[in-house]
Formats: sequence, C-alpha cells, structure tokens
Amino acid sequence: MILLDRVTVIYPNKTVALSGASLHIQPKEFVTIVGPSGAGKSTLIRLLIKEEVPTSGKIIVGSIDYDTIDKSNIPHLRRRIGVVFQDFKLLPNLTVYENVAFALEVSDVRTSEIKRAVPKILQLVGLSEKAHHYPGEISGGEKQRTAIARALVRNPKILIADEPTGNLDPKNSWDIIELLLKINKFGTTVVLTTHNKAIVDALKKRVITINRGRVVKDEKIGKYTL
Amino acid sequence: MITLWRIFKAGFRNTFRNAWLSSAATAIMAVTLLIIVFFAFSIYFVQTQLKEVQQKIDLTIFIADEASADQIKALQDKVIQLSGVTSVVYVSKADALKKLENSSEEGRKLAKSAEEIGNPLPSSLEVKLAKLDDIGAINSQIRALSESEIISETSYDSRDDNRKGVIENIIRISNGITRAGAVLSVVFLLIALMIIFNTIRMAIFTRREEIEIMKLVGATRWFIRGPFIIEGSMYGVFGATVAVAALIPISRVAAQFLTEKLNAVTAVNYFGDNFWLIILALYGLGILIGAISSWLAISRHLKL
Repeated sequence: MILLDRVTVIYPNKTVALSGASLHIQPKEFVTIVGPSGAGKSTLIRLLIKEEVPTSGKIIVGSIDYDTIDKSNIPHLRRRIGVVFQDFKLLPNLTVYENVAFALEVSDVRTSEIKRAVPKILQLVGLSEKAHHYPGEISGGEKQRTAIARALVRNPKILIADEPTGNLDPKNSWDIIELLLKINKFGTTVVLTTHNKAIVDALKKRVITINRGRVVKDEKIGKYTL
Repeated sequence: MITLWRIFKAGFRNTFRNAWLSSAATAIMAVTLLIIVFFAFSIYFVQTQLKEVQQKIDLTIFIADEASADQIKALQDKVIQLSGVTSVVYVSKADALKKLENSSEEGRKLAKSAEEIGNPLPSSLEVKLAKLDDIGAINSQIRALSESEIISETSYDSRDDNRKGVIENIIRISNGITRAGAVLSVVFLLIALMIIFNTIRMAIFTRREEIEIMKLVGATRWFIRGPFIIEGSMYGVFGATVAVAALIPISRVAAQFLTEKLNAVTAVNYFGDNFWLIILALYGLGILIGAISSWLAISRHLKL
C-alpha cells in the first residue's frame, strides 16, 4: 500500500531530514510512527502528500509511483489520501458541514451525492448537531473530528493523521483515537504520528520508530520507546 | 459546469462572510473609480472649454464698402481653399447689425443708434481655422491673394499687442494642458490601480492559510483562484454601485454650477448624454480592476 525505498531528503540548508528511510505498510494496517521532534516524522508525512519531493529514493502509494506524477495531477493524488493535521486546518469561513462538503466539491462530486454523503459522515464522527457551526464556535476535539470527517468523506484508502491529538486534552484524544480505530476496522489504512506514550502503548499495534532520519525500530506490537 | 457554478457560489459566499474585508476593499474601489471619473471628466472639460475658446478666436476679414458681391464671392472661394481653413462665412452689413442687436441690451441700443446714422458696420468674412497656431500665416496668405484688395482690415492686423499676447497664451496653455493631461491621467490611473491592487493583495494575504488548506484538500488551482477572482469582481460591482450612487447627486450640483458659472454646456451635455455609458464603464472598469488584481495577487500563493 505504502512503500518507501531508501528515501533521503536533504534541505537546501544541508539539513538531513530523512536518510535512506525504507518502510512498507500493508493495506488495512494501523501503523503508528513515533520519534523525537525533528526525527523526520513530518517530512515523511509531507512526502506522502507530495508537498515535498525526496532528494533520492522511491515512493509508491497505492499503485502510484510518485516520480511519474506531474504537477497538475497533485490535486488528484491528494484527493485519494485523507490527511488530518495537528492544527486541524479547517476553513474558518465555512461551517462544519461546508468544510466537509468542500472536500467533495473540489473532487467534482455531484451535489446530490454531497447532500447524501456529508450528513452520513458527520453522524459517524458524532457531529450532526454542530453541522452549521463555524470552526470558531466548536471545541478542539470537535474541530479534529470535523477534519477527520473531511478526510474520510472521499472514502480514501489511506488516512494519514499527523499528531491529531497534539492540541487536545486526554479525553478528547482518546475519542479521536477510538474514531481512527473504528475507521481502520472499516478497512482504511491508518498512518498515525504521535508523541503520546500512553496512546501508543495502549494501542498494541505496529509501531515504527524514527530517529535522525532513519527507521531505527519496527515492531508488530510496539511500545513508545525513544 | 458544476465546478464553474461552485466557484461562483464560493466567490459570493466568501464575499459576504468576509464582510469586513469586503467593505474595506469596496470603499477603496469606490474612491478609486470616483477619482478616475473626476479626472477623466476634468480633462475632457478643460479640453472642450479650450476648444470653445479657440473657436471664438477666428479670423475676421472686414470688407471695404465699395466691394461688389462678385468680388466678395471670389475672395471667399479663394480663402476656403487655403489649407488650415475650415469654414468661411459671409456676414453682410445687415447681418452684422442684427448680430450686434442680439448680443446684449447695450448692443441693442447701440444697433438702434447705428441704424439711425445709416449702418456703419462693415460686412465681413468670418474665417474658422483648424489650428489656432496658423492664424498669423493664414492672415499673410490671405493678404497675398490678388482678390485681397477689397479687404479693409483683418482682425489679426488690428490686434493690439495685448490681444496678440492673449491668443499666444491660450495656444501655449492649451497645448500644455493637453500634454500634461495625458501624462497625468496615465500616472493617476497607475496610482489608483496600485492602491486597489495592494488592498486586494492584503486581503488575500490575510487568507493565505486558507489557500494552503485548499491545496492540501486537493483543490485545483482554478478551484482556489476562481472564487478569489469572483470576490475581486464583486468589489468592483459594489464599488461601482457606491461610486454611481455618489456620482448622481454630485454631478447634478456640478452640472448646475458649471452651466451657470462657466457656461460649460458642451461638457455637461456630453456627460449627461453619455451617463448610462459612463455607469456601464464604471462597472466594467471596477470588475476588470478587481478581477485582474485578485488574479495577480493570488498567483504567488498558488505555487504548488
């Protein structure tokens, strides 16, 4: 599903963000990526949504070789991968409903289909009541659930969650993780990055540890160790 | 098709939800458009006024009383053939008297007493010139004609130095204003465009994060750019509406003032006759400025 083969990223200022990192994630897996700040987690995520290109190495997601897609196809690629960020990245002038619908609108989905899909997904994340609130009017947990709904509404094969609980309290964090597990159970591959030891240890799922741009540990049922 | 509709919808929605930003941009757009109108009108106004003044200063050829009708006709035919002459009108002694009578209250009295002593006014040929600059040269050409013996005097011969100075001054001023007007209007238009461009650029800059987010969600460039261009055009539509609303009362007062105090009938009529066209132009200009500014301003945020 996701294949990184000896991927190296060196920034123009000579910082080495990733050096020869290889990893392979199977379909329907739930993988947690851990590592200290600056280890290369965020670079890895940005590579997967092609916000960045590797200095060397190969990236293949689904059946797409990232070397072969040209610029105009980047939006289409991003529509196939759901991404959730630590800072939610919701459009402030759109309501919860409109934020989720936006993801479908940019994908040329028919209006009738949007009207059918959005309420369903809002129900899944438990936000039906807040559909017509603006992001400024809801809590952090609700914002993150909106972001997850937006990522999921296009039925992606892969959901990438970059520190989704970084800005949330423990209760809300667990709600989000439970939601991710539920999504994974429905068949979506989930890639999660986090700093939260309690969550990683309780998940009992595959953990990939990155340090100084290298994959230093890859365990089937891993723990948070640095 | 559905995308186009969504772009329009998003553009309208954003305009209203960013009410504060939109009002600021609209206000500046309105001021910009008003300045452009005032400036364009001022240039047109000064030019028509100058043209009117120039037309008043034509060359008058006074004919000696002994001249026969044939002689006058011959002279008139020759003069009209000179290059730089646009028209030659014959004014008989009776016409001259009538003109004087109609000119003013005083003129009427004067004409009456003139009639009693047997009309002393000479008949004349009124020569209109294409360019006021040529007046001296044409005067000498007329003087050189063989038919010129019936001329008693021309207005150019009888000019005193004062009048000559006035004519030359008007020539100089009108040339200067036309040139300065062209330069100034270009400079001014550029300044106005820069102001509105910067306003829109700032409005977009405050929303650069939104553009980032749209990119991450997988929106194509046109899907991101489109609504902003619609928003820019909306500033144009609203700005033009405000400008027109302000222009209607202002132009009424101005028209009254200009007609009464400056007798600027031509310019005022031109403005009145073309009022709908001017309104249309304002909307067009507003939409164009808004859309192009948005397009330019957003381009730098769109690099993937």
